[in-house]
Amino acid sequence: MAYKILIVEDSKASREFIASAVESVGGVEAFTTSTGFDALKLLSRQRFDLIITDLNMPGINGLELINFVKKSPTYRETPLFVITTEGREQDRAKGLALGAAEYLVKPFEPQQLEGLLMRYLNIA
Amino acid sequence: MTTSTKGLSDFVAEATEILDALSRDLAILDRRRGERLEPDLVNGIFRSAHSLKGLAAMFGEQRIAQLAHQTEDLLDRLRLGRIELTEKVVDALIESFDTFQVVLAETSRRERSAVATERAEAVSQKLAQFIDSGTVEQSDALDQLELDTQVRNVLTEYEEHRLRENLREGMAVWKVRAVFDLSDFDQGLARLNSKLKSLGEVISTLPSADPGDGTGIAFDIIFGGKVETEKLRLALTALPASVHPLFQFQPQPAEPSLPLEQLVSPTPPGAEPEHRSPVRVAVSNAPQQASGALPAYANPRFGTADAMVRPSPKQPDGEGDPVGRGLTQTVRVDIGRLDSLMDAVGELLLIKANVARLAEQASRGGKPPPGQLWGHELHRESRLLERKLDDLQKGILEVRMVPLGQVFDKLARTVRRIARESGKEVDFLMRGGEVEVDKLIVEALSDPLMHIVRNAVDHGVETPDERERLSKRPRAAVAIRAMQRGNQVVIEISDDGRGLDEERIREVAVRTGILTRAQAEEMTPRELQRLIFLPGFSTASRVSELSGRGVGLDVVKTNISRLSGMIDTHSERGVGSTFTITLPETLAIVRALVVSVSGRVYAVPLNAVSEITSIAESEVRTVEGREVIGLRGKTIPLARLARVFELPETELRRCFILVVGLAHRRLGIAVDELLGQQDVVVKPLGGRLRHTPGIAGATDLGDRNPVLVLDTGALIEEVVNSERRPELV
Amino acid sequence: MAAFADILKQFFYAPDEDVGELFRPSIPADEMTLLASQERPGEYLAFFLAQECYAIPIDQVREIVRVPPLTEIPRSADNLLGVIKLRGEILPVYDVKMRLKLCERPPKIAGPEVEPGSLTSTSRILIVRDPEGDVGVLVDAVREVIRLKPSEIESLAPGIGGGDHLVGLGHLGTDLFILLDIHKALA
Repeated sequence: MAYKILIVEDSKASREFIASAVESVGGVEAFTTSTGFDALKLLSRQRFDLIITDLNMPGINGLELINFVKKSPTYRETPLFVITTEGREQDRAKGLALGAAEYLVKPFEPQQLEGLLMRYLNIA
Repeated sequence: MTTSTKGLSDFVAEATEILDALSRDLAILDRRRGERLEPDLVNGIFRSAHSLKGLAAMFGEQRIAQLAHQTEDLLDRLRLGRIELTEKVVDALIESFDTFQVVLAETSRRERSAVATERAEAVSQKLAQFIDSGTVEQSDALDQLELDTQVRNVLTEYEEHRLRENLREGMAVWKVRAVFDLSDFDQGLARLNSKLKSLGEVISTLPSADPGDGTGIAFDIIFGGKVETEKLRLALTALPASVHPLFQFQPQPAEPSLPLEQLVSPTPPGAEPEHRSPVRVAVSNAPQQASGALPAYANPRFGTADAMVRPSPKQPDGEGDPVGRGLTQTVRVDIGRLDSLMDAVGELLLIKANVARLAEQASRGGKPPPGQLWGHELHRESRLLERKLDDLQKGILEVRMVPLGQVFDKLARTVRRIARESGKEVDFLMRGGEVEVDKLIVEALSDPLMHIVRNAVDHGVETPDERERLSKRPRAAVAIRAMQRGNQVVIEISDDGRGLDEERIREVAVRTGILTRAQAEEMTPRELQRLIFLPGFSTASRVSELSGRGVGLDVVKTNISRLSGMIDTHSERGVGSTFTITLPETLAIVRALVVSVSGRVYAVPLNAVSEITSIAESEVRTVEGREVIGLRGKTIPLARLARVFELPETELRRCFILVVGLAHRRLGIAVDELLGQQDVVVKPLGGRLRHTPGIAGATDLGDRNPVLVLDTGALIEEVVNSERRPELV
Repeated sequence: MAAFADILKQFFYAPDEDVGELFRPSIPADEMTLLASQERPGEYLAFFLAQECYAIPIDQVREIVRVPPLTEIPRSADNLLGVIKLRGEILPVYDVKMRLKLCERPPKIAGPEVEPGSLTSTSRILIVRDPEGDVGVLVDAVREVIRLKPSEIESLAPGIGGGDHLVGLGHLGTDLFILLDIHKALA
């Protein structure tokens, strides 16, 4: 059974980039949404093993999503990564404080993400 | 970091979309200088810059990310009234847009030049200056608000910033709580949002899992606006929302949602709100005009006269950059069109299956050769194939069509800019932007149209003073009109300026040796006007810094004839000029005459050929060494294609003549054989082959190698103009 | 009937040659990991022009095709042999032998006056990436893909080769590869 990863990111190009990086790890399936709202919908319908979210999105921003996720009984334990732009240290700090497990700063090498994924999903 | 090819093209495609939206918004902003600033417009531009920044950061495109960051900052301050929208600011925004285009173009080619990098930095700094000049940051209003830390924890820096600014501007702030069903919360939320947006600004949306009701989801929306609480409540009556001004303690049932506890005491309604005091986050009856502060969406004053921007000559021509060119080879398509294409493809697959079966039958070796029945079946499939391919072709052509309005917007910006720079007042009218034309044509038209419009404003239109003296309206009118005529598109660019000066043209023609004095005297005004399309012809007495190299309409003409189009001019001294461009709707498909010359095959667009005849060698005459032929009493010049193309000539007693051109400028092109007619798809020769004289492109006749398509306009130019004399008609 | 069978063979699509099989690494795989990053080797496509063996970086090569019939362009530059149609795209094909002084003038391979013998069964066209538009380069034969470490590349001594289109000489065993700047050679 493949691991299911949810990617929340409003830029299409960035979404594809992250999804390819994620899927290059064997046994992993990427699901993508472009808004926090869609993420909420998907989360209520499927189980995910890991969530990756951008922070600065219109509508529900990443922090709000993390907050919601971490307070929900189903996803409390699910590892969560945030993606931020450089210079937004406060956001990063808030994300970690709210319970995000890791953060990635744009631009990042796909290998970095892959490594983190493997670690958190316990893939050899 | 090196991006994969797909990653790069995804990035460029998305960046281009963002820049397209930015372009449209900037055009509106440009048009509405001096008017009330619409918050949605500035917000839209702000969001574009923000998205561009995030996107560029993800792909490591530092130059774009950095500039986008500055642009975003500038726009943020604009939205919140800390900076005025002066001429300079608008120009700076447009400049940053142009710079994005340039840098993105480079990036899409995986290039990186020092010029572009420096330019991006220079524009960045320019924007930074505006930012610094804005009003100074006061002490943090949010701290004074004593917002619950839980709320602050989920507000990003950026949202905090917005909240802060809203407070500073004397906006009232509420928490709007709404509960929706899990199954359709997005619709409900969208309705709520649009209602709120019409009254103010949604600062943040906080979702929370609802306690008692497992099927519900609650949202707390932090909202800033200039309305009274009662009015807000009224507006939201139909929606499952409750409104809580942000200064009351709001007890929440113990659950994971976010209580907002404000310890600010309420202000009695009617009291004068002073937004510096920590207490006054007011739900006031008079939310606007906190004393001393500018309302958030101030009416920007027009910059004063010194805000006229001097053109910066060093830049590579802002419009010459690939602003008009598609950086990505993409078009936006209506789904309905795609569906019909899918249908056509489906039918083609069926035909293919049949043909494959027939081929399979035939290739089974050893059997007697395929019989008549087999032949019939093949024939039938072939006919079907032809019909279906035709449908497919038509469908695809439709998909390639884009509205001319794309180019018009850019032209409008140019007109405004040049008018300002040259001190003229111009109204630019556009009509027919919805006329659709093949995408390649639209892109190729961008430069020529820009050129003509520039000339109109630069040389054609007079200064307001001059116009008054001439009893003309002080504001000149430059108009562009597009119309569909059968399968052709006609574009007219007219101005009510000076009109062409035939005397001047005559002088220049004589001076540069294009005509003798005697010939010049004989020419009609119409003929003289047409001379401006000759290479090197310029009636500008000095090379204007603003329009580059003077007139250069010969280039325009060449570009248009490459599109199998024509350009003509009509002008009246003192009244104005009109340029008329006629184009085929699609570049792609042309009915062509297939001919052969010296063993080579060429295609000639049939709409360029006015008649076809044949003559014997003995009928060819010469006049002053140039070959001519007689055509029903008229004598026209002859061009042997083999000779023009420097090919070995075949000895024939008779040859075929294709008569091309119109009226006084006709030419007979001699070819060896006529091989037939065909509808062909013409592909322009790109890249290094761009400047192949006499060739418009290449096509596919179904044979294995491509066939070249003649550019009859260019051939006429080459042969007829090299004679430098009017035809003997 | 034989001719018919030939036509049928062309009806069924056959892809162009696969470059993947041409690869010859100069270093065995396990040794690769021990290399310091400065010694990262570059990959080059080696090909023959007359008797000489040339090489260009592999990432400049978009694909390799057999030589289809070319269409000549009238009044064009000497080194432009003609244009081809590659999956709908029209691409120019250039000769570089003249520039490299391997022949007096470029072969005529398009039009009715084709010189017999100018194309052989091993002739190929390399489709090279170029910012102004990809171009084709005619070569007499494609050899293989090689890996060269910077230490295996010798810069040109004066007197060897004229012009800045030659970048260096690669040595692999006893073989000599002339490294070419293809864009300069096409200028």
